[in-house]
Amino acid sequence: MANKSYRSVLLPVATLFGLALVWQASCSLFAIDPWMLPSPLDIAERMGTDAARLAEQSAATLTLALKGIGLGVGFGVVSAILFHLIPGVRTALSPVIIITQNIPLIALGPLLMLWFGFGILPKLILLVLVCYFPVAWSMLAGLGQAEPHLREYLAMIGAKRWEVLRRLELPASLPYFFSGLKITATYSISSAIVAEWLGGSEGIGHYLVLKKNGYDTAGVFSAIICIVALSLLFYGIAALLERLVIRWRPPRSEEKGGKAA
Amino acid sequence: MNGEQEVKLRLDGVSKSYARGKQRHPVLDRISLTVREGEFVTLIGPSGSGKTTLFRLIGGVERPDEGQIYIGGELATGRRGLISYMPQQASLFPWMSVAANISSALASAGVPAKEAETLASRWLERIGLGAVAKQYPHVLSGGMQQRVSFLRALLMPRDIMCLDEPFAALDALTRADMQAWLLQLWEAERRSVLFVTHSIEEALTLSDRIYVLSPAPARVLAELAVPFPRPRRVGVWKDPAFVELKERVLAMLGEGAAHGR
Ligand SMILES: Nc1ncnc2c1ncn2[C@@H]1O[C@H](COP(=O)(O)OP(=O)(O)OP(=O)(O)O)[C@@H](O)[C@H]1O
Ligand SMILES: [Mg+2]
Repeated sequence: MANKSYRSVLLPVATLFGLALVWQASCSLFAIDPWMLPSPLDIAERMGTDAARLAEQSAATLTLALKGIGLGVGFGVVSAILFHLIPGVRTALSPVIIITQNIPLIALGPLLMLWFGFGILPKLILLVLVCYFPVAWSMLAGLGQAEPHLREYLAMIGAKRWEVLRRLELPASLPYFFSGLKITATYSISSAIVAEWLGGSEGIGHYLVLKKNGYDTAGVFSAIICIVALSLLFYGIAALLERLVIRWRPPRSEEKGGKAA
Repeated sequence: MNGEQEVKLRLDGVSKSYARGKQRHPVLDRISLTVREGEFVTLIGPSGSGKTTLFRLIGGVERPDEGQIYIGGELATGRRGLISYMPQQASLFPWMSVAANISSALASAGVPAKEAETLASRWLERIGLGAVAKQYPHVLSGGMQQRVSFLRALLMPRDIMCLDEPFAALDALTRADMQAWLLQLWEAERRSVLFVTHSIEEALTLSDRIYVLSPAPARVLAELAVPFPRPRRVGVWKDPAFVELKERVLAMLGEGAAHGR
């Protein structure tokens, strides 16, 4: 047990710390200009002086990302269920969805701003487009994955369609839903950054533009650290939710192995 | 057990064939049988003779090519939701507690939710599984899962219980245990049962009547009454009459196979 926690926590932390040390040492040893590559201490200092601003901008990005996730996941779940229940809809709409997924954000963003102005609406649309797909598609796959013998049992006792959905298909799709959610969680932050970068007056993405334009490299790094932290936070929350919701069984692989034996 | 009792299940010349490629493969050939109120009837037949197919027809999951099915005195061909069912695999829902597995099935059969819950917990207590009622099914052993699955079928308020080789996946010791357990529980409750097995001993130990099926396409080769009194002793297999009956069934199955070839 002690050995395990040592491996899973201490080792990566030590690696990061070591990297920072090497970085710091190289900066002073080779006398690198701070505007080319600031040392970790420079960045820490900048984060200290700019703490209030960074917190405020991070909060703005967080709010935008949460709105995007909420809407994207909501649409994703609803449309996965609809596509599952009405097979024609899936075939009809899938080209549209696949096309939207393959347009780069950087191209789509300016178009959305052209159509919807510089307010929150185009950013939200961009985010929803990004958050929607992983959830909808993995959940749709999950809804079709339910164990055939459980399906057969429900058919034999004459369960209604909605009972099959509620009792079998939805719970069976939850692990798939969560793997989609974890992908979406990290996508949402980077897409929020892109949206703020393209236009707008707040958020870490906007801060990033200002710092880049001012050749404040330490500021850029501060923004990067905030972005990474936000992404990890979102991923962590999604993983935690998964652990809280799916408590009914030992890991899947273990169960399979047990049955095969 | 006399002819006066109400007929709970009647099959009238039921035939079914499957199309495999261009050819039609007959599986069931004009099967007729009855199960009366409180009667334990067993179908015994070689593997692949079409017993599961017959259950799917009774459950209304598929329709027969010809012939009719009557459940509780009413025409039930192709109608679902009239039987209770215990499949070969326990088929418990991994995301529901043991008690919820039972009560949700009862709810499907129209039992009010509150009543279903009290029934489930009272009966789990009664069969000695009260301690695991709130646990997820994966903590139960195979034998315990089958007990829960049987209880789920027993408690559904339906005219006929269909049990499809419920003990086939269990080891010999657990299986003997389960037979004794089921015998005792069934003799106390006297539900109308249609039971499928490969084991002649199991059929003779448990049933009031036996239908012997031929290899596919299955016909009813013979119908025989099992004369041993109720309540049955588990040691009934030592009875000379038991041995003689067993020989007869074996001979019939052998003849059926020879005829089939
Ligand atoms: N959906 C289907 N399509 C085509 N053929 C089928 C289908 N279902 C069953 N069969 C065929 O019908 C025959 C009878 O199958 P069934 O499962 O009813 O046999 P069984 O008596 O239950 O066998 P076992 O004792 O091994 O469970 C088999 O030859 C099987 O291949
Ligand atoms: Mg079968």
